[in-house]
Amino acid sequence: MSKKLNVLISALFIFSVILTACATPTPQTITVVETQVVTVKETQVVTVKETQIVAVVPTAAPLDAAAVAAALPRNETLYFNGQQWGPVVGWNPYSSSNNNAMAISQQDSARVTMFETPYLYNMLDGKQYPLLADGDYAWNDARTEITFKIKAAAKWSDGTPVTAEDYAYTWATHVKYNTPTGAGNKDYIEDIVAVDAQTVVIKAKLNAEGKAVNPLLVSAFVSTNYVIQKAWTEILEARVGGDATALLADPAEDVVYSGPYHKFYTDDTKVVMVRDDNYWGQDASMWGKLPVPKYLAHAIFKDNAAGFVALQVGQVDVSQQFNANIQDLWLKNMLPISTYLPEAPYGIGASLPTAFFNLKSHGLDQVAVRKAIAMAVDYDTIISNAMTNQSATFNQVPRSLMNPTPGEQALYNHEAVKDLQWAGKDYEGAKALLDEAGIVDTDGDGWREYEGKKLSYVATCPNGWSDWQAAIEVVAAAGKEIGIDITSNYPEWSVYQTVVTKSDAPLAEGYDIFMMWSAGAGPTMPWGRIRNLLSSEFVGMASNWNGNWGQYSNPEVDALIQAIPGETDEAKLIEMYTELVRIYLTEIPSFTLMYRPQSFHAVNETIWTNFPHQDDGTNPPVPPLNLTDGWSIAGLYNLMLTTP
Amino acid sequence: MKGYWKYFLNKFGWFLITFVCAFLLNFTLPRLMPGDPVAAIVSRLAQGMSDATGVQAIYQQYADLFATNQPMHEQFFIYIRNVARGDFGFSFSQYPRTVAQVIKGSIVWTLALQFPAIIVGWLIGNTLGALAAYLKGGFDKVLMPISIFISNFPAFGMAVILMVVFGVYLQWFPTSGGYGFDLIPTLSWNFIWSVIVHYQLPFWSIVLIAIGGQAIGMRSMAIYELNADYVKYSRFLGIKDRKIIGYVFRNAMLPQITGLALSVGTMVGGALVAEIIFSYPGLGFTLLTAVRGQDYPLISAATLIITIMVLSANFLIEILYGFIDPRIKAAQAD
Repeated sequence: MSKKLNVLISALFIFSVILTACATPTPQTITVVETQVVTVKETQVVTVKETQIVAVVPTAAPLDAAAVAAALPRNETLYFNGQQWGPVVGWNPYSSSNNNAMAISQQDSARVTMFETPYLYNMLDGKQYPLLADGDYAWNDARTEITFKIKAAAKWSDGTPVTAEDYAYTWATHVKYNTPTGAGNKDYIEDIVAVDAQTVVIKAKLNAEGKAVNPLLVSAFVSTNYVIQKAWTEILEARVGGDATALLADPAEDVVYSGPYHKFYTDDTKVVMVRDDNYWGQDASMWGKLPVPKYLAHAIFKDNAAGFVALQVGQVDVSQQFNANIQDLWLKNMLPISTYLPEAPYGIGASLPTAFFNLKSHGLDQVAVRKAIAMAVDYDTIISNAMTNQSATFNQVPRSLMNPTPGEQALYNHEAVKDLQWAGKDYEGAKALLDEAGIVDTDGDGWREYEGKKLSYVATCPNGWSDWQAAIEVVAAAGKEIGIDITSNYPEWSVYQTVVTKSDAPLAEGYDIFMMWSAGAGPTMPWGRIRNLLSSEFVGMASNWNGNWGQYSNPEVDALIQAIPGETDEAKLIEMYTELVRIYLTEIPSFTLMYRPQSFHAVNETIWTNFPHQDDGTNPPVPPLNLTDGWSIAGLYNLMLTTP
Repeated sequence: MKGYWKYFLNKFGWFLITFVCAFLLNFTLPRLMPGDPVAAIVSRLAQGMSDATGVQAIYQQYADLFATNQPMHEQFFIYIRNVARGDFGFSFSQYPRTVAQVIKGSIVWTLALQFPAIIVGWLIGNTLGALAAYLKGGFDKVLMPISIFISNFPAFGMAVILMVVFGVYLQWFPTSGGYGFDLIPTLSWNFIWSVIVHYQLPFWSIVLIAIGGQAIGMRSMAIYELNADYVKYSRFLGIKDRKIIGYVFRNAMLPQITGLALSVGTMVGGALVAEIIFSYPGLGFTLLTAVRGQDYPLISAATLIITIMVLSANFLIEILYGFIDPRIKAAQAD
């Protein structure tokens, strides 16, 4: 009996091992690689016509067989966490639905590992530096057109030059197929034309007075959106037969790119990109060399905890996730781990997680109630508990509409709004404010009433967003201190987002005080963030992913938001921004709970060193954006091995 | 044999009725959840979009594509037509991947982890339980408390303990992934060894808990059987202990086999806790993400697979019981 049992257990074990081994792609995937280069265009065109949508299978790009036969060499591979969650779905730069965080992200600081933008935004100095473009762009005198040239050295991965026509055709395709980029910009950009092979002109959409509708968004376009090859786009169009949905759903396995890295391998557990050693950027007119790591790899972790363990044991070099009490890793555990700043807040705050008031809830239409709640909140506890001090305090950076970067802080007059600031945890001040407004406890139950009805609210944020939940608990506790009954509730994100983004009707019950994000750092900031927080243009939208979720409306604010993009006078801009901050701190339609970095950025220097950090001597300074976004990719060219 | 046919048809009829009901629920229940799955897709697409009307256009496009703006009964008929062709459609949360691609990518990992773990846990647990009942004394006194202790361990607790002890402190085994973080799958010993090593912690985190529960169940059943009249009678007849134990354990095994069938039936639901804690690929986490993201097609497909597996396992067990234990067949056929 025991013999049989032993045999059975052994057989099962062997079976399980074999089965597990079979679960991953066998070497065929890799050994067919060399032929893939030659055949890929033809075969994909033929097969896709039938199915329209092709599976993303684990893939490997051309590389010598010896290199892929075994492990990725540790001292040639830079490992990430916190960017890629779940398997890669596609490589299509026209789509925002690729779940391919290592390669595609068209945002304020666009990710430029595989696809490239004409300019790179640097959140530290607020400037746009040329990448595919040759020199700075120039506005015409009327500020209705931007002109720039494409670098002569810029090449696609197939060796053909990047041209102005590629850029013009990219825009035309976005508009023709109503891609998110097209739909999101066609109200501001009239057209993009190629004057000659190198020269691009972006024509702004004009208003009735003949002025650009929004010059700020036009100039931001050059660093937020990729240039895509015209020849490849035509292949894509042919295989989807002009169908917009199929074009966006195409996984684009055959895409031509201009960036330094491209797809190497993906499956449900990881994504690996490999350097293109023919990358045009090694030309003297750009970087003058190749980026240092040969591979960029990202294991797909199921949650932050798993990613955190991997960072500690040295399996992750660059961590873009929230790691609670990050300082313990070097102070207590003595690990070679560091952040951009050596002391709290450890990173550069860029966005403002915000508590919105539902301005239609009973009593919350009263400024006194809103201000009293905001005054009573214990911000230091939120910052020390929810963010484990990875946020500047409001003593360090007083609240406004600006993020803590020096560039934005200089855009408003601090003295002019000093009297409107509040310290937080100011229970007595909040009570006095409510008493003065006549909002008192009339029936002696311990809770204040307004117009005879008890002030009772639900504060909410999505379930499982632990830092936000901790913040909401602090808000609820603040209410109790000043006689306002605030309870917390945490619906699932799928429910929460559906309710909060429906701005064409009053918010549902249970959403009196709720948390949402604000925009981070970018070429349109702080204007873009202020617009998202305060503009009434979003009220009435059935699916509002822009902002102002509390449905605040103020014509004076709207006028300022509309005027700022066309204003070039620095002094006037400061005046306008100061006025907006004054209104925001006076009316308090929402309030900032903490500062949050654009990207979390912690590095383990076991293998690699010379990561960007404060005062690292780089000029222009390399921002802490994981060496992949905007100007931060410059950091990839500075990396060195800890032990060469 | 006529009685057996009647028994079989009866069971098959119930199988079909249950299947139809389960199929209906599989379709309906996910769609009754509050929230709008298309909004989640639009939230991804809308990032960086500055134009408000553009977002609306995108929303409409995807609502049309997934037919979420159609009445429920029309969605149901579309669903039936597609399922009959084996087409579960697009996954909402991983669009434009299809449900088939998503499930195909993760189910092998789940089966490879769950099936051996369930079988090994079941075999070891039942053997230990039977031995405890038979040997009694010191073995039973030690085994029982340990089994109760381990079987009541929450799965995540066991997984975390194994990870911290063997992964973080002793560093005998890796803490996450299905194979080495620095490997690309190839048919090499290096890779296979890596798979084996990565397999250990998730595997034992499931097996250890299963052992405790099975041992307790088997011990109770075996003690009950050991005291049965037929055992005493057999002893009076002078039948050898070995033979008697064979009878005892065969009888005690029946409920355990039902439990095993159910475990095997539900295993495609995935070992959620092990998958999350060890970042192990598999269907459990995919399903959890689908539920959170209101990915109706993926939820329906995964639950349909689970339904079919459980119903089939139950059906087969019922049919086998008819053969193994004539009393059941006789009682049911009446």
